[in-house]
Amino acid sequence: MLHLLKVDLKKLFNYRTFWIICGLYFLTLGMATASGMEFLKWLANTFKDFGSKLNIDRIPLYHFPDVWQNLTWGSGLLKLMLAIMVIISITNEYQYRTIRQNIIDGMSREQFILSKVFTNLLLSISSMVLVFFVALFTGFIYSPEISFSYMFTGAEFCLSYFLELFAFLSFALMLGILIQRSGLSIVLLFSSYLIETIIKTNIDDYFPSIVPFFPLQSIMNLVPLPFAKYAFQEIQDYVSLTAVAIALGWTFLSTISPIYD
Amino acid sequence: METVLSISQLTKTFGRITAVNKLDLEVKRGQVFGFLGPNGSGKTTTLGMLMGVVNPTAGNFSWFGKPVTHGTRKKIGAVLEHPIFYPYLSGQKNLELTALIKGAPHHHIAHVLEAVELTSRKDDKYKTYSLGMKQRLAIASALLNDPIVLILDEPTNGLDPMGIAEIRNIIKKIAADGKTIILASHLLDEVQKVCSHFAVLRRGTLMHCGAVDDVGKGEEIVEVAAYHDDLALVLQEFSGTLSQKKENSNYLIRLKEGFNSQDLNRFLFDKGIIAAHLLTQKKSLEKQFLEILEEPDHAIKK
Repeated sequence: MLHLLKVDLKKLFNYRTFWIICGLYFLTLGMATASGMEFLKWLANTFKDFGSKLNIDRIPLYHFPDVWQNLTWGSGLLKLMLAIMVIISITNEYQYRTIRQNIIDGMSREQFILSKVFTNLLLSISSMVLVFFVALFTGFIYSPEISFSYMFTGAEFCLSYFLELFAFLSFALMLGILIQRSGLSIVLLFSSYLIETIIKTNIDDYFPSIVPFFPLQSIMNLVPLPFAKYAFQEIQDYVSLTAVAIALGWTFLSTISPIYD
Repeated sequence: METVLSISQLTKTFGRITAVNKLDLEVKRGQVFGFLGPNGSGKTTTLGMLMGVVNPTAGNFSWFGKPVTHGTRKKIGAVLEHPIFYPYLSGQKNLELTALIKGAPHHHIAHVLEAVELTSRKDDKYKTYSLGMKQRLAIASALLNDPIVLILDEPTNGLDPMGIAEIRNIIKKIAADGKTIILASHLLDEVQKVCSHFAVLRRGTLMHCGAVDDVGKGEEIVEVAAYHDDLALVLQEFSGTLSQKKENSNYLIRLKEGFNSQDLNRFLFDKGIIAAHLLTQKKSLEKQFLEILEEPDHAIKK
C-alpha cells in the first residue's frame, strides 16, 4: 500500500501544477476556516443593516461544540479544487499514455488505480487533520467557556467531512478514468451537480424517499448545512449513519467500477 | 536451451480485422530474436499482448515457462512503439519512478544512464530531449531491473544514421552480455546485423521462423562474365546449372545443390574459357524477406 502511494506521489511531487493547486487549496482551507469571525465583522461593517439586525458576537460560529459542524461544512465547499487536481492527475496518465507504460513496467491495472485511490486518501486525511486543528484552536480562542464535557461533542463531523472528501474525490477519479480527457471530465464534474439537481427536483414529488440515494446528494448529506439554526430553524446536528452508509456505497462503486470495466 | 517465451495459437481481432492470426513462436534464452514484418503486420499488437496491455482474443503464451502475472513483467524490459515518459519529469526522475515500479535498486539508475550515455543530460526535463535521447532513455529504463529479456519495438524509428548506429551498438553490447533480446523492426539491415534468429509476420500470420545464419544457405547464385561469344550456350552445358539469366553484361547462374562456384570455374577453364568476373552472391535477408512476403498465404513455412 505504502509502495503504491510512493509511486503516485513520485509523479506528483515534481509536478508544478500539483504544488500550485494543492498549495492554494490548503492555504485557502486554513485561512478561510480560521477567519470566519473576521468575515462576519467585515459584513457588519460593509452592510449597515446586517449589524443592526444581528449582533455578530452572539453568533456562536466558533463556539464549542458548534464549531465542528460549522467548519467542516464550510471546508466541504473547497473540495472542488482537490477534485480538479485528481482529474488532472489521472487524465495526464491517459494523455501521456504513461498508464500503458506503468503496466508494461509491471503494475497491474488494479495497483495503478489503487495508487491513485491512496493519494485521494492522503489528501482527504490531510484536509481533515488541518480542519480538526483549526476547529480546535479557534474553538479555544472564541468559546466563552471551555468544558471538556462537551468540547468534542460533534467532533465526529470531522470524520464525516473526511468521508465527504474521499467519496467526492473517488467520484472525480472515476470520471477521469472513464472520460480520459481533463477538460471534458472537469466540465462533467461541474455539470453533474446540475444534472443531479434536475433529476432530483423532477422525481421529488413522486419518490421523495430515493432522493438521499443520489451520489452527490449522499455526499452533501454527510455534513448538513448548520447555519439555519442561527435563524432558529430545526437542523440535523448529528452525523446520519444512513448518509454514511450510502456515501460509502457510492465510494466503493466508483473505486471498483473502473477496475473491472 | 531454456525457453524464455512460448506463444501458442495467439490471436487478436479488432472487429473484422485479424491483427494477429494463430501465432506460434518460441524464443530461447540468449537469442537475439528479430521480429520482422511490414508496417501494420501485427508486430506491436503481438508485443502488446505479451506485455499485458492488449487482451488476446484467443490463444495463450507463457514467459519463462510459467503462467503470466504482472510480476512477470518486472523481469522484462520493454519499450513498445514510442518511448513513453512523464514530460515534466527529468530523465533521472523518470527512471527513479520506473525503478520504484519495477523494484529495481536505486544505484542501477546511474549505471544505465551511463550505458546509454545520457548522464550529462539526466537532470533536464524529458520534454527537452531529442528523439534519439528519448529512445536511449527508453532503453535505459528497460535495462533498469537487469531484465532477463529485453523487448525493443522499432528502437531506431525516426533516428538519423548516427543515432541508428548508436542504438545498434548499445543493442550489440547488451546482447554480448548474454541477454535475450526481442527486436521488432522493419529495417532488415538492422536485424541482419544484430540478430541471431528471426521471424517474419505478414498480416498477422507467421510466414517464416529460423536462424539468420541459415539465410543464404542452400542454392547458390554465381555471377559470371567472360570474353566469349557463346558463353550462354557453354553455361547451359554445365551440369550444375539450374537456370541462367542475363543481367547487364553478366550471367546469373543459379546452381543445383552440391555445386559451387569452384566447380563452375573449373568447368569453364576446361572449356578454355577464362572468367573475367566470378562472384558468389550471398542471399541477403532483404531478398529472403521479400521472397517470403511474396509467397501466397497458404504456403506457411515452419
